[in-house]
Amino acid sequence: MSASDRAALFTESGCETNNTKSTKERKAGCPKPKPGGTSGGCTFDGAMITLVPIVDSAHLVHGPIACAGNSWDSRGSLSSGPTLYKHGFTTDMTENDVVLGGEQRLFDTICEIVERYAPPAVFVYSTCVTAMIGDDLGAVCASAAEHTGVPVIPVEAPGFLGNKNLGNKIAGQALLDHVIGTVEPEDAGAFDINLIGEYNIAGELWDVLPVLNRLGLRLRACISGDARYRDVAAAHRAKATMVVCSRALLGLARGLEDRYGIPWFEGSFYGTSAMADTLRGFARLLDDDDLTRRTEELIAVEEAATNAALEPYRARLTGRKAVLYTGGVKSWSIVSALQDLGIEVVGSGITKSSDGDVEKIRELLGDAKMIGEGSPRELLRVAEQTGADILVAGGRNLYTALKGRLPFLDINQERHIPYAGYTGMVEFARRLDMAISNPVWDQVRRPAPWDAQVAGTPGAPGTLVAGVA
Amino acid sequence: MARIVTTERGATIDPLKHSQPLGAAMVFLGLAGSMPIMHGSMGCASFAKALLTRHFNEPIPLQTTAISEVTAVFGSGESMVATLDAIRKKQRPEIIGLLTTGVTEVSGEDIGGQLRAYLAAWADADADTGAAAEAGVEADAAPLIVGVSTPDFIGGLSDGWSAALEALIRAVIPADELVLGDPDELAEDLDDRDEGRTALLAASAASPPRPADAVRAIPAAASVRTTTAHTHPAVPDQPVTRRSGATGETGSAGEEGTPDLVAVLAGPGLTAADLDELAELIRSFGFTPLLVPDLSSSVDGHLAPAWQPTTTGGTTVADLRRLPRARAVVAAGGCAAPAGELLAARTGARLFTHPHLSGLTEMDALVSELMSLSARTAPTMVRRARERLADGLLDAHFVLGGVRVAIAAEPDTLVAAGSLLRDVGAEIVTAMAPTYAPVLDDTPFDEVVLGDLTEFTTRARAAGAQLVVGSSHLREVAHRLGAAYLPVGFPIVDRLGAALAGTAGYTGSLRLLLDAANRVLDHTAASHGAASHGTAGHGTGGHSAAGHGTASTESAASGGWSETDLPHQARATAYPDELDDLFQESPC
Repeated sequence: MSASDRAALFTESGCETNNTKSTKERKAGCPKPKPGGTSGGCTFDGAMITLVPIVDSAHLVHGPIACAGNSWDSRGSLSSGPTLYKHGFTTDMTENDVVLGGEQRLFDTICEIVERYAPPAVFVYSTCVTAMIGDDLGAVCASAAEHTGVPVIPVEAPGFLGNKNLGNKIAGQALLDHVIGTVEPEDAGAFDINLIGEYNIAGELWDVLPVLNRLGLRLRACISGDARYRDVAAAHRAKATMVVCSRALLGLARGLEDRYGIPWFEGSFYGTSAMADTLRGFARLLDDDDLTRRTEELIAVEEAATNAALEPYRARLTGRKAVLYTGGVKSWSIVSALQDLGIEVVGSGITKSSDGDVEKIRELLGDAKMIGEGSPRELLRVAEQTGADILVAGGRNLYTALKGRLPFLDINQERHIPYAGYTGMVEFARRLDMAISNPVWDQVRRPAPWDAQVAGTPGAPGTLVAGVA
Repeated sequence: MARIVTTERGATIDPLKHSQPLGAAMVFLGLAGSMPIMHGSMGCASFAKALLTRHFNEPIPLQTTAISEVTAVFGSGESMVATLDAIRKKQRPEIIGLLTTGVTEVSGEDIGGQLRAYLAAWADADADTGAAAEAGVEADAAPLIVGVSTPDFIGGLSDGWSAALEALIRAVIPADELVLGDPDELAEDLDDRDEGRTALLAASAASPPRPADAVRAIPAAASVRTTTAHTHPAVPDQPVTRRSGATGETGSAGEEGTPDLVAVLAGPGLTAADLDELAELIRSFGFTPLLVPDLSSSVDGHLAPAWQPTTTGGTTVADLRRLPRARAVVAAGGCAAPAGELLAARTGARLFTHPHLSGLTEMDALVSELMSLSARTAPTMVRRARERLADGLLDAHFVLGGVRVAIAAEPDTLVAAGSLLRDVGAEIVTAMAPTYAPVLDDTPFDEVVLGDLTEFTTRARAAGAQLVVGSSHLREVAHRLGAAYLPVGFPIVDRLGAALAGTAGYTGSLRLLLDAANRVLDHTAASHGAASHGTAGHGTGGHSAAGHGTASTESAASGGWSETDLPHQARATAYPDELDDLFQESPC
C-alpha cells in the first residue's frame, strides 16, 4: 500500500473524531503496536473479519501456513446457506516459494479453486511474508480474473501494517474499489437498505431482520454477515446505509455516499433505546411519512413487549454490580443496557474506546469508574475492590474471570449467543441472570478442606481473588 | 514400513498443518512461570493464542514482538529488545521462549546474534548493579531466555515442537567441548547439528549471559551440582516456590541429589492424562520422573489459587537444570527422539526411545526397560492396568476388527492412535500427516499421505472409511462421509476435556480403545435407528469403495454455489415465516 493510500484511509471526513484531529494525529493512524504489550489481532485478521462473512465466496490466504492454518473455520459468523467461506484456502508458501516467488503458485491456486467450487468470487489476502518478498498481488488477481472469468479481489492487508481496525478499513476500501457497483440488481426498491459492520455473529442478523422486514425495509446488502457476493456487489442501489458498531468502516459508508449518494447513519442493535434510535434512523433517511408512523408504532409495541419480558430479570438483577470491559460503541451502549436492568456498573475499561466513546461513558458513569488499564490483573483488582458480581467483557477475558472465580458474560464477537435486537435484549438479561446466579460460584470459592482453617468465610470478597493484590 | 506419499501440491484446501511456532509455543506452555514470545506480527501470536485457548480451555500466556512493516524491513532487533525488556519487567517470567516466525525469518536477519548481544548487554548491566541487588529481586529479573528458530514456511507443528525441545536441552546443558564465546568452537559444534539455526539460537541463549548462569551452565553434568551451591547462593537450586501450586508432584524432580532421576522428553502426542500415567509408572519403580515439557501440570485445566500472567505449572527451570543428573532418558514420541539423543549424548544417561506409548507392545517394552533399570518387578497396580488393557483389546477386537479407519493427525498422534487401532484388527485405509517425520517410516500402515483435508476426504471416501479419527476439523469430514468420528489430537475445539483424555499408557490406551469402539457402536445404533424411521441412514458399511469423491460432487457437497443458481435474492423479501425456516436450516 502506498503512503498516500494509507493516509487516505486515516482521513475520514464522515467522522467527527477524525475531523477534530490535527494533521499530525491523523498521520499517526492507528495506535502503533506495542512490543510485549499487545494481545490483539493483526491487520490481516481485521480484513478477514470484515470479508469472510461473505459466505458464498472463496477466501484465499496467500502466505505460509500460520496465517490460514491457525485461523480457518474458527469465525463466529453464521450462514443461512452456502458454506464455502468456512473452507481454509491457502497457498501454504514453503521455503522454495519464498525464494522463487509465490506468484505462479497463487495463480494456479486461484484457478484450481474456481474449477473445483465455481464460486461467484475469490478474495485473495496477502500476508507479511508475501508482502515482504514482493509478490504482485494485484497483477496476479487481475490475470487470474481474466483467465477464469470470475472476479478475483486483491486484499492487501498484511498483518504487520498494524491492528485489526486498519484491516477493517482496507477490506472496506477493497469492496469499494473492486466489488460494489459491479452488479446491477433487477429489483431495486425504495426501501432497500445496507448494513455495514454487521457480521451475523451467533446469528444476530436473524434476530434483527424480522423487525426490519415488518417495517417493509429490505436488506439489499449486509456487509458482510451472511452475505452473498452479488448482493454486496449491488450495494450501490440501496437507499440508506446503517453503520453498525464499527467506526472502522465509516469510510465505506462515506464512499457509498460520495460515489452513489446513499445517506448513512451510525447505530446499534444492542439495547432497546439503541434499537429505537436505529429504526428512527432508517425512517429519517428514507424520509417517508408512512414509514415514520409505522416505525413509531412498532417501537411502542416492541418496547412494551420487551419491558414486560425483562421485568422478572430486573427484579433479580437490581442492585447487582458489574465490571465492563469492551470497546467502541458497546462500551457505552452496554452501560445503558445494564443500567436499564438495574445493574450498577462499578467500572468500565476505556483502553479500547475512542475519545467520543469515553466522553459518553463519563456522562453515564463519572470519572472514578473508568479503568485506564485493561490487564487481567487490574480488572480482577477492580472487581475485588468493588465487590462486583460479574465481569462483562470479550472472550479474551473469559479465563481472567474464571480463574478469579468471578461470573462472566461474553459480549464480543467470539460468543455463541445473539444479543441483538429486542429478542436479544431479553436473552442478554437471561444470560446475565444465569451467569450470576449459577450455583457453581459458591462451590469454587469455598476453600479446600486443608485450607479451610486459614482462609476466611467461604464466598467472602477476600477469598474471591486471593493473592492477586 | 510405510510408503510415504506426497501429493502433488496444488491448492491447499482445509489445511491439516499448523505452523512451527505453534508447536514450539506448546513446549514452553509445559514449563513453569513461562512466557513464549512469537517474534513476528501481532497476528502470529493472537491466532495461535486463540487456537490454544480453544483447545485447552485455559488462559494461554503468549506474547508478541509486534513487528510492523517498518521494523520488518529495517530490522526487528529493537522490537525484540523492547519486548524482552517489557516482559521481564511486567510479567516477570522464569523462562522465556523467543520463537521466530515467517516474517522475521524471511528478511534474513541474524536474530541469534541479536539475542546474544542482548544477553551480553544484560550480563554487563547485572555485573554493575548485581552486587547490591537483593537475591530475590535478582532471581525475578533474570529469566532463562531460549531462542528457537521456527519459520512458518518450513515444516509444521511437530518440527517446531522438536526444535523447541532440542533448544531447551542445549540451553541448559551446553556441549562439553564448547568453549563459550569462541566462534570457531561454536561453528564446529553447529556443524554436528541438523538444525543449524535452531542450535545457534539455543546456544546463544545458553552462552555468556549472566554470571549466575554461566557458572552453572558451562561445566556440564557432574560439576554442576557442586558449583551451584557455593558460587551463587543467591539463586536457589530448589524449584521456585514463589508460584504456589506451580510445582506439583508430577512436575518437580524431587529432592536435591535424587539418585534415581528418570527424564521423560514428551512429544506432542501425549495428553496431560498420558503424562500423569507415565509419571506414576516411573514413580512406581522407585524413580523420580522429570517431565519436559510437563503439560500435565500447566494447561491441564486446574483452578490455581490466584491468577498470574505466566503458566501456573509445568517443568521449572530448576528441574531443567537437574536434567544432567538423570540416570535414564525416555524419549516418548518420535518428536522427542532428537532431543532424547542429544540429552543422552551430553549426559551419558541411558536412552529409551519410543515412537509412541499406545498399546501393549510399546508399553511392555517400556515396563521391561524400567524393570531392568530398577532391578525391580512391576508393582500390582501396573500389572492390573496391563490385565485390563489386554482384556479391553479382546473385547474391542469384535467391534473394531475389520473396521475401515481413516486417520489424519500430527505424526506422533497418527502413529500412536493408528497403531492401537490396528492392534485390534482395524484396517487403516487412509493415514494422513501434515508434514513428514522420521517416525512415519516405521508405521504399520501401507502408506502415509502428506496432504490437506480435502485430499483426505477424497481418499477416505474412496476407501469407504467407517471411522474417521482426528481433530475437531475431522468431525465435519466424518459427517460428510457418514462415518463414525473419534476426536484425537490437536485442535479439539468443540468439546471439553481433551487434555484429560488418556491416549497412551496401559490405562490411557484402554480409554482410547473403548472410546473408539463405543463411537462405532453408537454410530451403528444411530444409523439403524435412523434407517428404521425412514430417514437417510448411513450404515457403517454402507459406503462402497467406488471413488465418487470427484471435484464436482465435492463441490456440491460442500456448498460451492455457481453464479447462476444463487437463490438468495428472495431472502431480502422473505416473510418472517420463511425466515423462521432459514433459522432451522442454519447451523446455529
